[in-house]
Amino acid sequence: MATLEELQKRIQRLEDIKQIERLQRIYGYYQDYGEWEKVVALFSDNAESVEECDYGVYKGKESIRKYYIDLIKGGKDAQPRVGYMSIGMQIQGVVTVDPDGRTAKGRWYGFFVEARSTLHRHEGELRQLWAHGIYENEYVKEGGKWKIKKLHFFLNFRTPYEDGWLKTPVVGHSGPSPDIPPDAPPTTWRPYPFGYHFPVHFKHPITGK
Amino acid sequence: MDLEELEKQVTNLEDINEIENLQKMYGYYFDNAMFQEVIDLFSENTESVEITDHGVFRGKGAVVRMYGGMVGMKRPGWMFFEVMQSQGVIHISTDGRTATGRWYTPSFECRPFGGTKKQTWQFGVYDNEYIKENGRWYFKKLHWNLTYWTSFERGFLKVPRLSDTPFPHADAPATAYHPYPSGYRVPYPFKHPVTGE
Repeated sequence: MATLEELQKRIQRLEDIKQIERLQRIYGYYQDYGEWEKVVALFSDNAESVEECDYGVYKGKESIRKYYIDLIKGGKDAQPRVGYMSIGMQIQGVVTVDPDGRTAKGRWYGFFVEARSTLHRHEGELRQLWAHGIYENEYVKEGGKWKIKKLHFFLNFRTPYEDGWLKTPVVGHSGPSPDIPPDAPPTTWRPYPFGYHFPVHFKHPITGK
Repeated sequence: MDLEELEKQVTNLEDINEIENLQKMYGYYFDNAMFQEVIDLFSENTESVEITDHGVFRGKGAVVRMYGGMVGMKRPGWMFFEVMQSQGVIHISTDGRTATGRWYTPSFECRPFGGTKKQTWQFGVYDNEYIKENGRWYFKKLHWNLTYWTSFERGFLKVPRLSDTPFPHADAPATAYHPYPSGYRVPYPFKHPVTGE
């Protein structure tokens, strides 16, 4: 029979997993409505980095803000253009809380349906797109709240609705922004058909390897 | 930490799990055309059901009117609905008696349209409320917001919605019907997890 203290630890771990799943799903909801300030606020002040697709690595909270507000939003006062849509479903989460209960990792699929321009992020004809990729994220608990410590999204494909990934694996990507440059080049820009296997953070649940 | 606090924590976790299952089971029942089972998921004190632009159906009696006509109805083999209940965020009220849930629903369907079989797909957002009665969670309010309903061949940019579908026997017209490209944002039932705003 477990002691009260042991029981408390086990319940805390379950609660942590729930909180982190919630955090990642809410991140998705904010992202889909282009509420980038709210997204930035989900990151710890001591956050490590954000890296998505081929945009490069933005390190530290200030750089993360630059990434979301200057690059992705298109400036502090930019308004979303009519007809722009990017719904990125956050699915199949596997969350692993580290033994000390202070940090955690999570792997998720991101499945996107979008209406956006492909030549430039903020102007040009809207096209309907599918996209798919994988998150390997890290979380940190500060003041009793889970926050994002590191966000890393590997893009598998982003294709026009009409074409499909075999014909046209990637549109809408032309490397890191020269105007709002990252702190380091992209580390996992290997979309279809590279056959890249984005490493899993977790250990095998049976063999432990 | 004493036993009482621990029990509260466990109850909260159990409540979230039960509500997630309730919502997912609703989806499975709906997709399998098990509409009596769907009706039985709703509280006797149900506030309302509102799906896309069908209109508002108030009270448990209206839930029966909404789904009851489909009870026992056989669908032809080619007709199907797969509405995936995804990305649920559940929030339990402080007193543990009610809760809110937001969900995404990517869905694939084949249904009759204009006299022909049509492969269509949809996307929408649930903004639901739940109530705990006699130790069980029920739907108190169900509201599904349509984002798009399009043909598989043409897609949401070209055809955001195939048709409007108001129901003449609704208690009131839809309160929110803003498909793509309206840019409408379904309000969040939860607070920002870090700032609390």
